[in-house]
Amino acid sequence: MIHLRLVSKSFGQQAVLGGIDLKIKAGERIAVLGPSGIGKSTLLRVMAGLDRDFEGEIARPARIAYVFQEPTLLPWRSVAANLALTTGAGDGEVEAALAAVGLSEHVAKYPGQLSLGQQRRAALARALCARPEVLFLDEPFASLDETLADEMRGLVARLIDDSDMAVVLATHARADAVDLGARQMQLAGTPARLEPALPRT
Amino acid sequence: MIKLTVTGDLLFHLWATLWRVIAAFVLAMSIGGALGILLGRRKTLDRWFDIWVIVFLNIPALVTIVLCYLWIGLTEVAAITAVALNKIPMVAVILRDGTRSLNPAFDDMAQVFEMETRARYRHVILPQLAPFFASAARTGVALIWKIVLVVEFLGRSSGIGFKIHLNFQLFDVAAVLAYACAFIIVMLGVEFALLKPLETRANRWRAA
Repeated sequence: MIHLRLVSKSFGQQAVLGGIDLKIKAGERIAVLGPSGIGKSTLLRVMAGLDRDFEGEIARPARIAYVFQEPTLLPWRSVAANLALTTGAGDGEVEAALAAVGLSEHVAKYPGQLSLGQQRRAALARALCARPEVLFLDEPFASLDETLADEMRGLVARLIDDSDMAVVLATHARADAVDLGARQMQLAGTPARLEPALPRT
Repeated sequence: MIKLTVTGDLLFHLWATLWRVIAAFVLAMSIGGALGILLGRRKTLDRWFDIWVIVFLNIPALVTIVLCYLWIGLTEVAAITAVALNKIPMVAVILRDGTRSLNPAFDDMAQVFEMETRARYRHVILPQLAPFFASAARTGVALIWKIVLVVEFLGRSSGIGFKIHLNFQLFDVAAVLAYACAFIIVMLGVEFALLKPLETRANRWRAA
């Protein structure tokens, strides 16, 4: 479903990503692992079509959704409006998605009135509303405290188990990949290449 | 002032000036706003136009007014065009800087979720630019009405500027002050009855 043949991706003179050939089948889950700064976000942005300035080619389905590192909700629209306006989902769908992430009581609030954990969940609900064929998750559990991160991991795992979308997760923590049952790929080297992650010894 | 109000003279000229202010304001805000957003979004265009924006920003109001009267004639269209031309570069510069400061994360978000252009502007871009529109509008109204007076002074036979011209020649200080004060009161009314409530509404989400 996704087929990325990347020759190279550079920022200025600096080559960040090297040759990468990655195929993702429908419904498959993969996790891109690696330390911060290695280019995980860049790889996801290339795959999602947000960054077109690279050498290589990419085939991807039309309907995708992205959960960014920051929640990226429109602060001047209510939570429900954020979901409806960006994804075009109907009221029923929006309510169901917000209920699924436990935000039923906060539909009319502005994002600024929610905690970071709640905003993250709203961003997740927005992604689900788009009914994507591929869901990109960029460090969705970063900067949450342990309890909240665990809660969020459980929530994401449950929600993607219920659907048949493919998932591409970028994370520095192997445990995230394990929790979501994702195939682990390691991003390493300069410029970074993707290889199957070795089992931990 | 009361005497002038009763005779209806004041209201007639007040209205003449006010409608010129409104027309020039709407023109300047829409053209200047569109131009500013365009320049902020397109770097190549900005490089081309940057020098022209500076040129127009620095042409004295008096020059545009005189040229407009000479080229278009002593008409209403010339008067309003002259005022709008004075304000457009200023609005464009404010909105261009606003557009440059747009959060790219929202652009990415809108692109991933394939928001339509109209929805993108209405819900993503314009709300981010609202403070810039507000500041352009506020300085705009203040500047425009001053220029409208000059335009009327130089080449119209109605409006506060025309009456000030007349009373200046008659050496009637009281009448000059009366006309000026009347219009300031109107503009204060506009500020508190129109601009302030609009601003409060646009900033609702900040207070929440």
